[in-house]
Amino acid sequence: MATTEKDLMSLSFEEYCREVFDPEKVFEKPEPLKGYRVIDCTQYILGPSCGSYLAELGAEVIKFEMPRRGEPMRHTTPWNERSLYPLSRWMPDRGTGFGFVGANFNKYHVTLDFHKEEAKEIFRRFATKADIMIENYRPGTFDRWGIGPRQMMSHNPNLIYCWMGGFGGWGPGRVRASYDILGQAQGGAFGITGHPEFLGGTPSKHTIWLADYWGGMMGVMNILAALYRRETEGGGGTFIEISQVHGVARMLEYSLPLYKAFGVVRQRWGNWDTQLCVHGIVQCGLSSYPDSENPQENEEGYILISAHTDEDWEKLCAVMNRPDLRDKYPTHADRVKAESQIEIYTEIEKWTKDKTKEDVQAILDEAGIVNQPVWNSKEVAEHPHYHMRGTIRWMQDPVFGEMLVQGPPLLMSETPPRVKWLLRPVGMDNESVYQNLLGYSPDQIAQWEEEGVI
Amino acid sequence: MAMTEKNLGTHPVPWPAVPIPTRDEVYAGLSDAAKEYPIWLEENLHQKYNFDKPENLSRIRVLDLTTGMMIGHWASSQLAEMGADVIQVEPVGGDPARKLTPFGREEYMFTDSERGEKVGGLFLHEMRNKRSITLNLETERGREILRNLARHVDVIIENAPPGDFDAKGIGYRQLSQINPRLVYAWVGQRGQWGPLKDKPGMLEPVGQAACGFVHGTGQPKEFGGRPVRSAMWMADYVGGTVAAIGVLTALFYRDKVSGRGQFIEATAAESIIRILDYTWVWYGMDGSIRPRYGNWDLAINIYSVNPAKDGYMMIGGGHDRLWYRIWGTVSKERPEVEQLVVEDPKLKEVTDRLDHAANVKASTLLSEWLKDKTRAEAEVELLKEQVASGGVTTIDEVAEYPHFKYRGFLDLFKDRLYGEILYGTTPCLESYAPSRLKWIGRPVGYDNEEVYLYLLGLNAQDLKQLQAEGVI
Repeated sequence: MATTEKDLMSLSFEEYCREVFDPEKVFEKPEPLKGYRVIDCTQYILGPSCGSYLAELGAEVIKFEMPRRGEPMRHTTPWNERSLYPLSRWMPDRGTGFGFVGANFNKYHVTLDFHKEEAKEIFRRFATKADIMIENYRPGTFDRWGIGPRQMMSHNPNLIYCWMGGFGGWGPGRVRASYDILGQAQGGAFGITGHPEFLGGTPSKHTIWLADYWGGMMGVMNILAALYRRETEGGGGTFIEISQVHGVARMLEYSLPLYKAFGVVRQRWGNWDTQLCVHGIVQCGLSSYPDSENPQENEEGYILISAHTDEDWEKLCAVMNRPDLRDKYPTHADRVKAESQIEIYTEIEKWTKDKTKEDVQAILDEAGIVNQPVWNSKEVAEHPHYHMRGTIRWMQDPVFGEMLVQGPPLLMSETPPRVKWLLRPVGMDNESVYQNLLGYSPDQIAQWEEEGVI
Repeated sequence: MAMTEKNLGTHPVPWPAVPIPTRDEVYAGLSDAAKEYPIWLEENLHQKYNFDKPENLSRIRVLDLTTGMMIGHWASSQLAEMGADVIQVEPVGGDPARKLTPFGREEYMFTDSERGEKVGGLFLHEMRNKRSITLNLETERGREILRNLARHVDVIIENAPPGDFDAKGIGYRQLSQINPRLVYAWVGQRGQWGPLKDKPGMLEPVGQAACGFVHGTGQPKEFGGRPVRSAMWMADYVGGTVAAIGVLTALFYRDKVSGRGQFIEATAAESIIRILDYTWVWYGMDGSIRPRYGNWDLAINIYSVNPAKDGYMMIGGGHDRLWYRIWGTVSKERPEVEQLVVEDPKLKEVTDRLDHAANVKASTLLSEWLKDKTRAEAEVELLKEQVASGGVTTIDEVAEYPHFKYRGFLDLFKDRLYGEILYGTTPCLESYAPSRLKWIGRPVGYDNEEVYLYLLGLNAQDLKQLQAEGVI
């Protein structure tokens, strides 16, 4: 970098951050996992996202998919509206659905049908060429095929082998299949999210595949810790097991301690907060886009209002012109009770009824009260803040062209993660990987393609 | 209204109420060959063997300077579970997050046996394996002490308002001159720079609301729905995980390549933006705004939660094999479904089934079947066909789930200070150097003497004076 240490010290803090985290300079900086190879035998989101995060950090991630059609997630897309063409050289008239996007950045895509005998032989040869292996077949499947943790780690004792899946490979639920939504349901997060019954609510799914995408992060975290230990202290490889249902149960905050100690079974509390008041999302009666035909825009707006301290509560009552509320609930202990919250938010919604979320925001900003409009994905996608920081940006994908895409949320001054490409067609890297890494001839590779081995 | 006032009682419940199954019960009826792999896994991964094994981060020391919210505490919890020595630095009087308890109920707080101090369940759950010291960073002496501590640590995590620590002379720019090996992470809701940088006091769910998550979660308006936040401070947990990943990456690069630390930033909002899957590509392609779709999925059919007789039931079949198994199960009782679904040409191909009308049809037919069945009855039928399915569970059901108890997803920890606490364990199981729980938490400033004495060489007299001056 041209900027010297001395220059950096003289910048304002804002300018300093813009300089060291500048997304335009990411490609001028080293990749932290450069030179480390990952073999990724995962489908859906949990495992693939783990591989993607490693690839964003600079690891060389080779993803194995079923020949021709690729993995099932390529055939998911919202309401079947859009796809990215071509799916593969064998199926140019089919596309990859958007469900695949986000979990497969920067990967090399090869095909291999593990059900074929030759496939296991070929795959075993990757053991000594990899630092990390991730896999999410049903527990024991790879072991039965002779390419599980015991066999792969006997070929390469330094291998970090991570299995990621629903319930884990041992215990009473080990045979159960799982998906993200089942993780949310059975891990407990689904049941406590949503509006309470007395407000007409039901248990609610987190719209994101939370247990998957976040579970993948937990996998990366443990893999990095193991790699750090391996590379700085030694001790060799390790076997890691990540259960997505278990992950959700880890996130339940006070729910488990309170259940055991006091017999409390945590219930839904909708858009309010069980522990802070005012700290909740309320409806603003007016739409910000009344003329839009899109139901995502012409419905009422919503805004988070955070005024839980006595000082902020006083300010809020002042802008609402409701000194009676202030007098009725002078302390946080008064406000945070369940009955108080019901009344307070009901009264706030009377005040916001004739306003848009932007009207409310302007008033609260003026009064110095923390707030956050509930933005839809268009409002987020177009906000300059995220574009400036590189966390949402337009990029030129080498295969699919210009795309609006999320960037890594992890800002690092010296070794930032990065997105190089969105995804690749099925089997695009067959020739280079099988020839360059394993030494197979183009004829052999062509023959295996013909036979459906790869 | 009556339900919110109902006193659920403050009596401890027995746990486990139903005994944890034994290994023989779990693997009953399996051949030796079929048992062999799960038992091998169990022998290598069970948390009861943790203390016979090393830790991944046993040489790392972390100062967690975050207060008021969970994003930093979550990040340092993960590092602490993986073996790092985490010192929680609290303002004099303690982190305000200690006082949080549902509906302000003090009777639902936990008390340590030594000092009789109360702490909320939320804070205690993420105070695991950490030590607590107090330090007043509003005083020059306090900042001086922090600069000295910075020489002895590998990692600092903070969540002060943007630029606050820098202005006070204890930001990354200044501390990295004292300790160039320092890895320094700032965590927050939207950022410490840029037009939307955080304002003082900004807490979750700002992150959830600022990224499109809340707008997209809940039932559509046509179904009487409103947007809804996660019950948990979920974006903080995801953002905290991103921060922990950043810290580990920076430590790896420092010790493997550069010898120098770096400056890291992770936010709740952007961490959720990262995992909002195809939202941005979809918008960029044709201007589509991600809609709320309730308990169904926009991109997979069938993959939904629908009402059953005693609650809600999840059923998933994202590819052909499972799809036909689901309808095979339903058709046993309702033969007409065979004709309605299996013979419908519009539902034949996996991608053809993704449009809205197909979702409505599938969920309607499933709900018809589910409405007279309990979750357990439906699960028995579906598991016969190995369909991914299960009920939406309540916290008491989670706590008693046999699989969870057997594997230690949750466990009863007997803490020296806090007694018996039921807690969620780390989902990272490892054979070589597993994460673990060593203690559940500490009262405010419990480790002042030990940390200030051993790290900075301060004596008892110094500590007394610092206390009198309000520095610690």
